[in-house]
Amino acid sequence: MKALGARSAFYVGFVVGTCSLYLLLSQVGFTRNLGSPKNEAHVKSLLEMIEEENKNWKKERSALFNLNHPHHTGEDGKLADALYKRVRILCWVMTGPDNLEKKARHVKATWSRHCNIVVFISSVDNPDFPTVGLNTKEGRDQLYWKTIRAFHYVMEKHGDEADWFLKADDDTYVIVDNLRWILASHSPEDPVYFGRRFKPYVKQGYMSGGAGYVLSKEALRRFVEGFRTKVCTHTSSVEDLAMGQCLEKVGVVAGDSRDTLQRETFHPFVPESHLTGTFPKTFWYWNYCYYPIVQGPQCCSDLAVSFHYMDASHMYLLEYYTYHLRAFGYKYRYQPSEPKVIHDLKAPVPDKMETGDSEKKQGVEALEGEKQSSELHEKS
Amino acid sequence: MTQPQHLESRTQHVRDTWGKRCNIILYMSSKESDFPTVGLNVSEGRSQLYWKTIRAFQHIHKHHLDDADWFLKADDDTFVVLENLRYGLSKHNTEEPLFFGRRFTPFVKQGYMSGGAGYVLSKEALRRFVKGFAEGLCTHNTELEDTGLGQCMETMKVRTGDSRDVMRRQTFHPYPPDYYLPRQLPRRRPWYLLYEHYNPVEGPGCCSDLAISFHYIDAVGMHTLEYYTYHLRPYGYKYRFNPDLTD
Repeated sequence: MKALGARSAFYVGFVVGTCSLYLLLSQVGFTRNLGSPKNEAHVKSLLEMIEEENKNWKKERSALFNLNHPHHTGEDGKLADALYKRVRILCWVMTGPDNLEKKARHVKATWSRHCNIVVFISSVDNPDFPTVGLNTKEGRDQLYWKTIRAFHYVMEKHGDEADWFLKADDDTYVIVDNLRWILASHSPEDPVYFGRRFKPYVKQGYMSGGAGYVLSKEALRRFVEGFRTKVCTHTSSVEDLAMGQCLEKVGVVAGDSRDTLQRETFHPFVPESHLTGTFPKTFWYWNYCYYPIVQGPQCCSDLAVSFHYMDASHMYLLEYYTYHLRAFGYKYRYQPSEPKVIHDLKAPVPDKMETGDSEKKQGVEALEGEKQSSELHEKS
Repeated sequence: MTQPQHLESRTQHVRDTWGKRCNIILYMSSKESDFPTVGLNVSEGRSQLYWKTIRAFQHIHKHHLDDADWFLKADDDTFVVLENLRYGLSKHNTEEPLFFGRRFTPFVKQGYMSGGAGYVLSKEALRRFVKGFAEGLCTHNTELEDTGLGQCMETMKVRTGDSRDVMRRQTFHPYPPDYYLPRQLPRRRPWYLLYEHYNPVEGPGCCSDLAISFHYIDAVGMHTLEYYTYHLRPYGYKYRFNPDLTD
């Protein structure tokens, strides 16, 4: 009897305790319903998201064709839209089967939406993602093979559908609108390529692989032709260096991708490193950069094009920082003049882009930029 | 809100980045210095935070009440976008008893504002806060600076404002952006979301384009956010003057 009494006393006590705790917490304010309504909302929005994706992308021949240039309400994107039509960029992203979920998926969800066409290059075909499988294995020693085959692939399948051909890694974040700004004052019929220029080993320099690089249509033609005529071969697995050597051989010029204030736009590291990091004097980077290295706030153009070693979170963070976060009513200090090609917007897009003298244009822009920049130099 | 040990590691970077955008900036510390910091009659430590806050607001009330319309409290690891704060406050009257920040729900009936994310008092709110302490209606009843201030505000009938933007996205953030932006919904809710007064959102809807503050930002983060807010942008877009208007 006594034992039964003690047990029921325990149960009663337990129930009383639980109720009091609940009452106490609800008094204090901890009543939030974390239950099912949220999940339902989430499931619904997932379906909506898939629908959205289908509206914006056409999956065809293992590439994603952009149907709408993304931008948000309350924003005047006329200039960006004009550049989007005028400067067509095919982005191909170097990835692999193990990285589809970890990395490539996030590239697909963020910056690659701003390309005209996106192709994900892997060693394995995946029609759902979609990725293109080239006849290679995975691994660092396969990088140049992958690159060679990738460029041949995009030339063959998409050569007429774009003007410029960008290579990026699945941990590179690219601001495609800024790339269009740089490329707008050049012709895709010029044999030129842009990226973060490194100086060793190749006389005119070569472009860092991780920071991404972009070839004009003529440059791509010459690259492919170079392999056909055996002027270029698979010389090494160091993809960016080997590219640089081949492109020099076939007469493609290594372009200067810096903005009108001589600030770099393609970056081989994360923004924090360039903005606040101090690389040790023995670091290889000091001897590699073709142009003088600037650390601190002037390291990076306002119109930066790429950053490297960006993990999945950073893809979304950079999307927010670039396209969303801003100071209300703030006039950006750096106001470069519009690329010359924009003024010919009313004219129909010719079959052959006008081959202006791009150096002269750059020189004019630089002068104008300097005039505006007298107040622009901030204290580092 | 800072302290002597942080001047070089943190406060200096506030001064180099967003500090210069305030009309007046005061670095509140326990010791006066040439930084320049204001020396309040307190000691350092987490348990002294509410004393520091009280003394800081009393100092401001005494010396600067007429020098400004709104009074923002921030930590030395908070990054603030002043232009967005001005935009958010422009619709409100500083003679009204109002205060804004990241609204938390427990402990105080009308809610209180997260300390780390920063909060801003109207002139009337500041007057009432100081009056509350002068008349004994508010006392140092807790070490938790944000909760304590929230309780005093409620006692003195200062209202909590809604600092969210027109699309109901938060502007004050008690954590850095990477706590909110890259998360995906189906997982157990972390504890800090239980405090939220308004429905917590993670992912792209978490944070207003016109965000006002982020917290737990170290020196590297200060300069990086400065670059992201005032420099990095995509070419070819013109944001409309008044984002509240739709076509």
